[in-house]
Amino acid sequence: MEISNIQSLKRIKSLAFASLIFSFAVFSNFASAQGEGLFKAKCATCHMPHKNSTGPKLAGVRAKWAAGGAKDGSIYQWVNNWQTAAANDPYAAEVSKWSPTAMSAFPDLKKEDIDAILDWVDAQPDPAAGGGATAGGGATGAEGALSAEPVEEESNTWIWLIMGVIFVVIIMAVGGVRRQLKIATSEEEGEAEKMTYGEELRALAWKYRLQVGLATLVVVISIIVALFQSLYSINIMEGYQPSQPIAFPHSQHAGINGIDCKYCHNTVTKSKSASIPSVNVCMNCHKQIDGAGKPFEGQIKKIYAAAGWDKEGMKYTGKTKPIVWNKVHVLPEHVYFNHSQHVVVGGLDCKQCHGDMTQQVETVKVQPVEELNKIEGNIKLTRKTLTMGWCIECHGKKDVAIGNGKNAYYDEIHRRLKKDPKLYAQYLNDDGKVTVNELGGWECAKCHY
Amino acid sequence: MEMSKKYWKGIDELKQTPEFIKHKDQEFPNQQSVEDFLADENLAESSTARRDFLKFLGFSVAAATLAACEAPVTKVVPYAVKPENVTPGMPTWYASTYYDGSSYASIMVKTREGRPIFIKGNKDFGFTKGGTNPQIIASVLGLYDSARLTQPLYKGSKTTWGAVDDGIKEALKNAGKVTLLSNTVISPSIKRAIAEMAAQFNGEGESKFEHIQYDAISYAGMREANLLNFGARIIPSYDFSKAKTIVSVGADFLSTWLLPTEFAVQYGATRNPEGEWMSKHFQFESVLSVTGSNADVRSMIKPSEEAAVLAYMIKAVQGKAATGGSWKAAADKAVAALKKSKKSSLVVAGSNHIGVQQLANELNNILGAYGSTIDLSNTIELHQSEDAKALKLAANVAAGKGPDVLIMMGVNPVYSLPNGAAFAKGLKSIKTSVAISSFEDETASNCTYVCPDHHQLENWTDHQAKAGEYAIGQPTIRPLHNTASALESLLVWNGAANRGGQDSAVAYDYIKATFAAMNPTGDFNYLTHNSCTTLPVVPAVLTFTAAAVKDLPKSADTEVVFYQKAAIGNGQFANNPWLQEMPDPVTKVTWDNYITMNPVEMEGKYATTYDQEHGLNLATVTVNGKSVTLPVYPLPGQAPKTIGIALGYGRGANGENIGKAAFQTKEYGGHAQTEDGKLTPIGANVFGMLSTGATLLYSAAAKVTDANGTYPIAATQIHHTVMGRDSIVRETTLSIFKEREKDAYNEAHKLQKLDKHGKHVEAPVSEFDLWAAHPVEKIGHRWGISIDLSSCIGCGSCLIACQSENNVPVVGKDEVRRGREMHWLRIDRYFASDEEAAVGTKADKETFSYDAAEIPALNPSVVHMPLMCHHCNHAPCETVCPVAATTHSNEGLNQMAYNRCIGTRYCANNCPYKVRRFNWFNYPSYKKFTEVNPAQDDLGRMVLNPDVTVRTRGVMEKCSLCVQRIQATKLVAKKEARVIADGEFATACSDACPTNAIVVGDWNDLKSMIREKSEGVRAYQALEEVGVKPNVWYQVKVRNEDNSLLDHIQVAEQAHH
Repeated sequence: MEISNIQSLKRIKSLAFASLIFSFAVFSNFASAQGEGLFKAKCATCHMPHKNSTGPKLAGVRAKWAAGGAKDGSIYQWVNNWQTAAANDPYAAEVSKWSPTAMSAFPDLKKEDIDAILDWVDAQPDPAAGGGATAGGGATGAEGALSAEPVEEESNTWIWLIMGVIFVVIIMAVGGVRRQLKIATSEEEGEAEKMTYGEELRALAWKYRLQVGLATLVVVISIIVALFQSLYSINIMEGYQPSQPIAFPHSQHAGINGIDCKYCHNTVTKSKSASIPSVNVCMNCHKQIDGAGKPFEGQIKKIYAAAGWDKEGMKYTGKTKPIVWNKVHVLPEHVYFNHSQHVVVGGLDCKQCHGDMTQQVETVKVQPVEELNKIEGNIKLTRKTLTMGWCIECHGKKDVAIGNGKNAYYDEIHRRLKKDPKLYAQYLNDDGKVTVNELGGWECAKCHY
Repeated sequence: MEMSKKYWKGIDELKQTPEFIKHKDQEFPNQQSVEDFLADENLAESSTARRDFLKFLGFSVAAATLAACEAPVTKVVPYAVKPENVTPGMPTWYASTYYDGSSYASIMVKTREGRPIFIKGNKDFGFTKGGTNPQIIASVLGLYDSARLTQPLYKGSKTTWGAVDDGIKEALKNAGKVTLLSNTVISPSIKRAIAEMAAQFNGEGESKFEHIQYDAISYAGMREANLLNFGARIIPSYDFSKAKTIVSVGADFLSTWLLPTEFAVQYGATRNPEGEWMSKHFQFESVLSVTGSNADVRSMIKPSEEAAVLAYMIKAVQGKAATGGSWKAAADKAVAALKKSKKSSLVVAGSNHIGVQQLANELNNILGAYGSTIDLSNTIELHQSEDAKALKLAANVAAGKGPDVLIMMGVNPVYSLPNGAAFAKGLKSIKTSVAISSFEDETASNCTYVCPDHHQLENWTDHQAKAGEYAIGQPTIRPLHNTASALESLLVWNGAANRGGQDSAVAYDYIKATFAAMNPTGDFNYLTHNSCTTLPVVPAVLTFTAAAVKDLPKSADTEVVFYQKAAIGNGQFANNPWLQEMPDPVTKVTWDNYITMNPVEMEGKYATTYDQEHGLNLATVTVNGKSVTLPVYPLPGQAPKTIGIALGYGRGANGENIGKAAFQTKEYGGHAQTEDGKLTPIGANVFGMLSTGATLLYSAAAKVTDANGTYPIAATQIHHTVMGRDSIVRETTLSIFKEREKDAYNEAHKLQKLDKHGKHVEAPVSEFDLWAAHPVEKIGHRWGISIDLSSCIGCGSCLIACQSENNVPVVGKDEVRRGREMHWLRIDRYFASDEEAAVGTKADKETFSYDAAEIPALNPSVVHMPLMCHHCNHAPCETVCPVAATTHSNEGLNQMAYNRCIGTRYCANNCPYKVRRFNWFNYPSYKKFTEVNPAQDDLGRMVLNPDVTVRTRGVMEKCSLCVQRIQATKLVAKKEARVIADGEFATACSDACPTNAIVVGDWNDLKSMIREKSEGVRAYQALEEVGVKPNVWYQVKVRNEDNSLLDHIQVAEQAHH
């Protein structure tokens, strides 16, 4: 039951996030501080000034009710408890059919509070009306950076290649001219000696044999070194940053909005895979946050397309299309890795292996080990991220908390270990702790089966 | 295989042309001197100079290397909307029920990301108490069979459900006579739908509609006998767990007879020698069956003698004088035991002959078994075959006088009827014939409409296998194809429902309504969770009335028994490669059926040995004018003057598309074809030879004649005995076990050593160590297995479960012949020879002859011994690996790192248990295995367990002790911060074992079952004297028999010591 409590806590948290996000999305120039504060605290979860979301837009709502023939004061009654209003006022009853989602009751809001809120709302410029467009378009630098597509490296390469070819042609042409000139001059001077290219080259090489020999040696050695380095780098995933169908900024979600990693990657505590969140998780927030007018609106539209969300009609069409992502952290098929083992049992934080995602503006990449070593509390490792050496190195240094009474499983392991005091002492002697490998974390069949 | 065969290199050699003769001794023709070669002026003009060639070569190597460096982009597709009960990477289990027309069990289905990948018996709910058989476990593979029909057919071509329904409804409306031929319907919902259908047709005293139940394997004899004796056409429940004496006359109740999933569990419970009592099991039979191989006393009889044996026992039990045949000694022992145990006895007969069943009833009645071991109230509702009606219908159809509409559901009469071929012809003259079938099989391919049914795992079903047991089967995957539940089809044709498409709830709603009517207070969700519930049973008031026994089977010089094999059964799973490759529990033959004959009778006529090179001799068996030619297999224990042939083979004789694995394959892949271009079926269909009396009879008079030629056979074990080696198998009798000390029957191996005075003394093997011990005994876990040879019945469920869990490839007959089967777990079967007092015990050490010990006795006792990697703490395989690919874990596991293995095979050569398997080929892609290995097609691959690597060519593999399950179990405990409970960890084999013979657990847990077992008096380790210190223990086989020879050896000789 504890787990479900945690989950419900998370849900509450997520709602809080959602309202927080609204407060960022709405820009205020002037208003009574009271109205703004109340709107953000009470209304912003469902309402926007100029746009329908879960609830209808609120700008000019008082005028609208009056024009619609609502009874005097009916709108205040509605806010306090919409059911009372709907029972008393036919217009309010009509309004209650706007959406099947029922509005919460706010009995504590006084008439002046409500007026303050609505005054503030009416004072907000409408971004769609042009005047407020600049306000809406005021994207942060991070958002601007993320919307930019990754630079196509291929085109650059072609330019270099073509330029290289041109240079070679020029060099050869110049050389040819020079040679023709030389032949011409030698003919004129009547010199009998005619050397072919090869002979000339050999003569030259012999003349500077020391330099040529050294240069050859350097070239050969560097080729060998380069070959070995390239062989060692096969399947090294460090720095791997594939393009993604959606330019998802972790910095925005985990960083600025402070969403917990486990809210989206919610199987990380249960399963071997942390799993990329399914689109319905995105929709928990993005049902409201459509990024209208923002540079990333197109990205969010992709989520809507995947979820089958009809933005205008505010309903699901039922036509879903899963998003095909490019996997970033790819382990070979013969490796078994379990996230829940590390996160729940080992107590690791996500950033210890994935880096600080709150700073990750671009799409996800495999963080180089140097970056990971900067993370506070991380064991300093030397092997490249996601290689077996990296795993092994950590398993060799990381201690397992056994016998501290917190986990009965490890208490039992500790109890059994104490039966062999010599071995236990041996485990403790080198570094004063029982490391993962001493409990078998280096054994083949722990990860390969 | 004929070695004298001459192969020509070409037509030249055949015709001996002058050119050929001139050059035949030159290895390289047209030799040219180096000078000639270099002087060839054209050489330089050739388009590719040698150096260029080398340059190209170098370039392509470099290019290939560079290309290989580029890691392919891996795509990852999360759900768009994640189903609530699916966690990617974690299994979801469903409780369900399995019923295929003959086997029935409550099961648990493991799904991963929505794919069912493993089936095991449900040990918590259902009267089968976790019992399964190989077919049930292998049925998960059938779900992904690429030959399954993907949509309905009309006259052989694909059509839509709408068109089919319209056509059938129209035909039904205009029909004068409608017949529904189905297998036994145990579904209350389908029964209700059929009753509604009948009511619609048979208004006002008409009888337009008829429902006939027909099974390939009939038990009508039992029902008819009970009708005569009790006035009700029933099959009572049998309780083997209460039977202190079990007498079976030709009933293979542990593997194929009636309800083996329940009986094996019950039987296993009575085979514990440590318990209060141990059952004594007598078997009288012709073919050595799985049940016979477990009997304490087995007697060989001809099928025609079954009645005589029962009649003799009826008289003898009552103390009357009677004369017996060659089986008298065994029958007398049985009578003595029956007299002692009285109502705690159970007599079962396997015959489908009414008279034989009447005699069995009479004997049970005299003993007082009714009301004790036999329950007439909670009747078994399976096997309701109405032979007389079905045979009449078959005759009518064959004669062109069939009904206007014939609906066939779950049956394959063209294959399984004695007059199947004539039936097929007659079927074509029927106006509208409908087959509800998953395959376009022998019957369906002759029908107007074929309506593919869901697979069991895609379907909502309900079952009433016994009067008081209600169970439902729930879908574990959305239907893969455009198929429809049979129940829905019936309802639609009856106008009671509309098609619901792929996510139809028609069957679900109907079953829910059925359940609500049967059990008004029942909670359907709770039922779905458990998969079953009990129903109140009205106590039957039936009393035994003697009735005249008529038409007892006549004896013949040679008699044939048509039996079912444990894996193939009645043949409906002939396309399942797991089952085809499962070695038969008794003969160890894969991929074939054959004529079984006692080797003593074969002497001088047929080869009694066989191997890769030498096949078995062929013989022709003629029964009722029909004949088949099959190889003759030497089966010790086969009754003299009898032969046996397995049913269920010869499927797809006309090349019907019933699945790739149902046909013979060639040496280098591809299907073997007959001269007329058809696919060659595996084995021969002998259903046509069944005789038809009042019921279908599974034995007959036969004539055996020699046929020319030999036939290669693929057996996983071609030796039959242990040749007196008690370090492999140990056996004793119950009386010795009860009365004597451990040393009498389970003496520890001792070696000589020098004591401190320099004297030779004996010391137990455990004192000798070549190496320092692994630190597995005190710290952490030490995983171990205990296998009880007393309760292991050799059924083969563990083998299939292991194959399913560990992605073990199927290799096909040719590779099995080469000894390259890949099963991680094998079940060795050992016969006793005349040189042995019991399997593994030399009768007389002085005169013991190894030559004679190779030959099994005429009627040998049998031991089944499951063998997998022993995870030796001093593993010989680990020390010889040059690359440390196989190492020891501190939990006692011998681990295999596939990606490290370079395939030297030293380890396999150094393994004393021969349990390591080498991957000779790329089974998931090489063309030789396309037909047999399910991992070769996209659909079949879905059955693979994602937690276990699919091994590649060139590496060694072996039992990992289900390390993926160990890790999962540990992780669950760690996450929940608790210790691992005993019994929480189960391997696939221990999960599947119906008799709980396999116990696994943590040996370092002092209170664990495995610790207790390993320290028990019966525990021994195979080949203990080698000193490899395995983590597998066996429990001495205890037979409840009188064995004076063994008494003498184990008691008298011990006393002498």
